[in-house]
Amino acid sequence: MSPTHDTASRLRRLLAILTWLAQEGEVPIDEVARRFDLTPSALVSELEMAACCGVPPYTPDQLLEIVVTEDTVSTRVGTTLARPRRLSPREGLGLAASARALLAVPGSDEDGALSRALAKLERALGQGAIDVELDTPELLDVVRSALERGERLTISYYSASTDQTGDRTITPRRLFASEGHWYVDAWCGSAVGVRRFRVDRIASASPAGPAAPEDLAEPLPADGVGEDGLGAFVPGPDSRRVRIAADASMTWLLETIPTAVQGQEDGYPVWEVFVAGDAWLERLLLRLGPGAQVIDPVEDRTLAPEAARRILARYRSRHAT
Amino acid sequence: MAQPDRLERVTDLLLVLLDASRPLSLREIADRVPGYPEGHDARRQAFERDKRLLRDEGVPVLAESIDAEEQVGYRVDPDAYYLPDLGLEPDEQAALNLAVAGVHLGEPIGREALSKLGMGGQWPRRGAPLPLVDLPLVDGLPALPVLFDAVRSGAVVRFSYRGGLRSVDVAGIRFRGGHWYAVGQDRDRGEARTFRVDRIEGLPEVGAPGSGELPEGFDADDVFGRDPWRFGSGDAVEVDVAVDAAEASRVVTELGADAVVERTDGGGVVVRLVVTEVEALTSWVLDLLDHAEVVRPDDVRAAVVARLEAFVTVDGPPR
Repeated sequence: MSPTHDTASRLRRLLAILTWLAQEGEVPIDEVARRFDLTPSALVSELEMAACCGVPPYTPDQLLEIVVTEDTVSTRVGTTLARPRRLSPREGLGLAASARALLAVPGSDEDGALSRALAKLERALGQGAIDVELDTPELLDVVRSALERGERLTISYYSASTDQTGDRTITPRRLFASEGHWYVDAWCGSAVGVRRFRVDRIASASPAGPAAPEDLAEPLPADGVGEDGLGAFVPGPDSRRVRIAADASMTWLLETIPTAVQGQEDGYPVWEVFVAGDAWLERLLLRLGPGAQVIDPVEDRTLAPEAARRILARYRSRHAT
Repeated sequence: MAQPDRLERVTDLLLVLLDASRPLSLREIADRVPGYPEGHDARRQAFERDKRLLRDEGVPVLAESIDAEEQVGYRVDPDAYYLPDLGLEPDEQAALNLAVAGVHLGEPIGREALSKLGMGGQWPRRGAPLPLVDLPLVDGLPALPVLFDAVRSGAVVRFSYRGGLRSVDVAGIRFRGGHWYAVGQDRDRGEARTFRVDRIEGLPEVGAPGSGELPEGFDADDVFGRDPWRFGSGDAVEVDVAVDAAEASRVVTELGADAVVERTDGGGVVVRLVVTEVEALTSWVLDLLDHAEVVRPDDVRAAVVARLEAFVTVDGPPR
């Protein structure tokens, strides 16, 4: 850590402590230290240093008003450096986006405190500048209440990677939204392991009694929020690597696939993706259009034409006008 | 003698600059802030480092010309540094803190914002596990805070998008379906447009505050139509799509129950979409494989069939 960075992060922390303390009044040293992750002696030495800062001629009214006693510290609302500070565009965006995102979760603001906070915030940041929409699958509440009560659910689930619908019993363990969709990580009795389900692909769900302790035993895939976010796709043991040649106009679509890696081959852009099921690859190839081609494995080259024939058969047999 | 603590010098400097009623020369600053070296060059160097630190921390240190030997003076305008009190009640503060804890932005900017507002440090954990929301934010999207600031200051922006330069009066930023969008009025086209922020190339250039000229009554929410196939510039046409039971729940979640015009036996639905970009609709329908079918109108149906037939007649890779 460079000395410059050290001073900067200490300044940031000092200002954070002062601004918080001004609202709290007199607070036990231990509590402040715990809250800001400092030892009590480090906190006291930092605050005693700050208490000596001021503007000449250093009369008491020109010093930072910080009082350190045997076991408490305090400052006063309105003290220089202890007043709320303006947010940078990034910080304002981050705070407003967080509030908007949580408001988009049904039932997350039943007492209205978040809406009121956001309205006050937007007076300073600009009104209606930002909004966040999240899917609200019909069964989100059912899954959430099962999670909160520690109950099992029997669900009918459509798997997009295998294009199959089946019934299974799950114990919800964690609920989150990523890339605009809701997911639930759950113990799955049929798979005998923790699996990730998209909530909007659950066609029906009914309560199936309390969770057993063993349902909660297996650790969840990522420990909390990982660096790549919660939704990051982890290639499973059954997934295969597929290489696809696609022209540059399709880059935007391939870039939305978390595992896709771009390379070059004989002047063509070539993408490598992990594929967990035929149906998933069919969707991708149909959306990429006939100009995109599977290079290998060779067996996958027939997937898109076969899927196209299957869909064409539907168009030719029904609803024809 | 022990090395003087640089944090003490920087804190004193911040206090002196905030207290200054006029720009102070470096000499005046050194008279008021203990700890700067004696020699002119060393002093200048130390001050420049401190000034950079303060600016990196978001302190608006102004450099203004003064009528003195040194020509440049410095100060911090308290109005630009402090925020008018937001008057947040304790339950409102707790709600904001929950939002910051429950929404993952890829970096701790929400937490830094709370610190500046007097809600720093670790909050005690209580209650049920939160639903977590993952929002791609500043990490891979450097244009996003720039656009947000342009909305706030009412400034026109210029950026490169799909190979062309656009001048846009931005009205708002919206998140939907995993992507951020900027909504505004495209000056050259004279029309309301929606831009995907991750497809903006480089950083937008921002005009002066107040330089934006949104048409009267411009409503970002109205312009930001429900679906990607309404972002096109073609004529709007109503398209009916039949979706079978396997995908019905996901499609209704995505489009909203208002889009459903018919519920069929066995759990399927027919949804009605307003489409201005047939290509985007085709891609969306094909993503549903043989679980969906365009029912009408005939020309859109024919476009999907033509796209499918192209797959069947092409054989083998391009080489």
